[in-house]
Amino acid sequence: MGKVVIEPLTRLEGHGKVTITLDENGKPKDVKLHITALRGFEQFVVGRPAEEVPRIVPRICGICQTAHHLASVKAVDAAWGVEIPSAAKKVRELMHLGNMIHSHALHFYFLAAPDFVVGPDADPAIRNIVGVIDKAPEVAKKAIALRKFGQALVEATGGKAIHPVTGIPGGVSKPFSEEDRDAFLKEIDTMIEYAKDGVELIKSINEQYMEQIKTLGVIDTWYLGLVNDGKHEFYDGTLRFLSPDGKEKMEFQPSEYLDYIGEHVVSHSYVKYPYNKKVGYPEGLYRVGPLAMLNVCDSMKTPLAEEARKEFLDTFGFPANQSLAYNHARLIELLAACERVKELLNDSEITSEDVKVEVEPKAGNGVGVVYAPRGVLIHNYETDDNGIVVKANMIVATTHNVPTMEKAIQQAAEVIFKE
Amino acid sequence: MADKVKVAMIQLCGCSGCHISLLDLHDKLLEVLPNLEIVYAPIVADPKEIPDGIDVALLEGGVRNEHDEHLVHEFREKAKIVIAWGTCAAYGGIPGLGNLYTKEELINRVYSTESTDNPGTIPSEEIPPLEDYVKPIPDVIKVDYIIPGCPPTPDMIASAIVALLNGEEPKFSTKIVCDECPRKKENVFPEKFKRTFEGKPDPEKCLFEQGYTCLGMATRAGCGAKCPNAGVPCRGCYGKTDAVLDQGAAAANTFANAGEAALEIPDKVALLNRFSLPAALISKKIK
Repeated sequence: MGKVVIEPLTRLEGHGKVTITLDENGKPKDVKLHITALRGFEQFVVGRPAEEVPRIVPRICGICQTAHHLASVKAVDAAWGVEIPSAAKKVRELMHLGNMIHSHALHFYFLAAPDFVVGPDADPAIRNIVGVIDKAPEVAKKAIALRKFGQALVEATGGKAIHPVTGIPGGVSKPFSEEDRDAFLKEIDTMIEYAKDGVELIKSINEQYMEQIKTLGVIDTWYLGLVNDGKHEFYDGTLRFLSPDGKEKMEFQPSEYLDYIGEHVVSHSYVKYPYNKKVGYPEGLYRVGPLAMLNVCDSMKTPLAEEARKEFLDTFGFPANQSLAYNHARLIELLAACERVKELLNDSEITSEDVKVEVEPKAGNGVGVVYAPRGVLIHNYETDDNGIVVKANMIVATTHNVPTMEKAIQQAAEVIFKE
Repeated sequence: MADKVKVAMIQLCGCSGCHISLLDLHDKLLEVLPNLEIVYAPIVADPKEIPDGIDVALLEGGVRNEHDEHLVHEFREKAKIVIAWGTCAAYGGIPGLGNLYTKEELINRVYSTESTDNPGTIPSEEIPPLEDYVKPIPDVIKVDYIIPGCPPTPDMIASAIVALLNGEEPKFSTKIVCDECPRKKENVFPEKFKRTFEGKPDPEKCLFEQGYTCLGMATRAGCGAKCPNAGVPCRGCYGKTDAVLDQGAAAANTFANAGEAALEIPDKVALLNRFSLPAALISKKIK
């Protein structure tokens, strides 16, 4: 009996390792994904004034900090019973989309693409973004432009590109300026073009690697995503579960999440294993993120992305269960985010000065949900009479995916070790 | 410089925001990258072993668990220049707020939230045990430089790298955030402090003087006063300047001039030491 340890896992944010225990025939017997870091945000936000928490929790993740900032401030608004002005909601959504564009571009072009553009068998020393810049400079140029646009949008709306600060209970601390609006409007059509090019690129990559896509990491799981009237939604909507066979849907409000989502502590990982509570553990394990989002929604909100979604389903079936199809789904969302940014920039209310209402701190319990770049993100705080946090629960995007990533690695290991 | 500089990067107890900030050089990356050979960087590259002969190691994040501590020592042995990269590495950063609780309190809370179906189980198999408290990297090994900021601006990281490429010492501002802040000051102290959601701050005037708990006066410059420019008070994410021993004490010293009003501020310990508790003179809660 032997053991294969893969450590550290690379081209991802966070800390993980994989252990594969082999039987006497050299076949994988047991595959475990260990998440090896713990910081304890659920403890150390306790005792903090709730309005400070949106300035603390972005440090959960330096890639999707904006999603944490916004889920957090939404949870505080909910705990204190605040309805924010509609212009503030739009500025927050714009900030969120900026993060989505940056993160999806980062994830695909900087983290995933080296496997396809430089090649899975390339020397590990060049299988990275520098390799992509050398091998496909045009692709790298578009990737950099998309990230830059996204980060500039977060900075303009959120005050800082990384760890934004403008989300405060009651709205946002500053309006979006007309100068900024005009500057982004000048660029947005180019970004939509680049995102369309991304979808074309992944289609050609799929053709080249279809055998791997249809064999490695193919698993049946539940899916969880955010929808609005059944449509794909990035920022504010209801949660929807879809069954592995695509036949059953369960839709619920963010405030009801405890009835639908449970977390199971396992001994080999700092991350708890979330599952669909109505189904039970472990049958109710599910996936979140672009693949899940495209599976759970009835349609996309914007025309180019909707066209791309239909093609996606033609290629992968419904529900798409191939883990490697995440990349294609992600690029469709990148296009959807760019299209939605254009809609918001053209909305006359986006530069309104009416972006903040007066709020009173009070005892309450609030849930804030957004669709973060890696998937559904949930923040839940309970506050006391002075608006100080007394209890907190957070289920971050990647957490939902950890148990099913383990399943996908297990499936891939079985295929790879067969040879 | 003839040869490429061998660079290693790692994220310990941080969020990877410092790595992302480096990528936020955007087009300028194309000028910086060709001078570097990235020999180890789990976030963006595949090599699994930390190689010998590293010229510059950029360590993001503080030390929270035994594996972090082990890695920090390994980098010290294998790298000529070690940089504590960003505020978590230099001062402990936000995860340092964990030092207000014991390790047991922290773990017990995480594994007993309302959504947990089997509270009481504590993971322990093939994962590194937590240390009692978060420690900044300079508390564990000798570092050659720190680059402050949560995260440091892309330009700061680039100028530090370029300085090192040229065999020079990276230089950072010795001023405070107030020196970069365009808001007008009248040199008065507030009669009452407000929480950030209270009222509508005058966009032209100093936030501290309007009663908002801004920490600009106790924080190293370099960010361009981004938070006050966005209408919210500074929270001190670049840490202290060279002139003081302790960031929280420096802030408290100024706040105290407001007299009684300062005593009313909620949660002073985590406000004044928001980003630098593990590097403070009193670095954890003492029972």
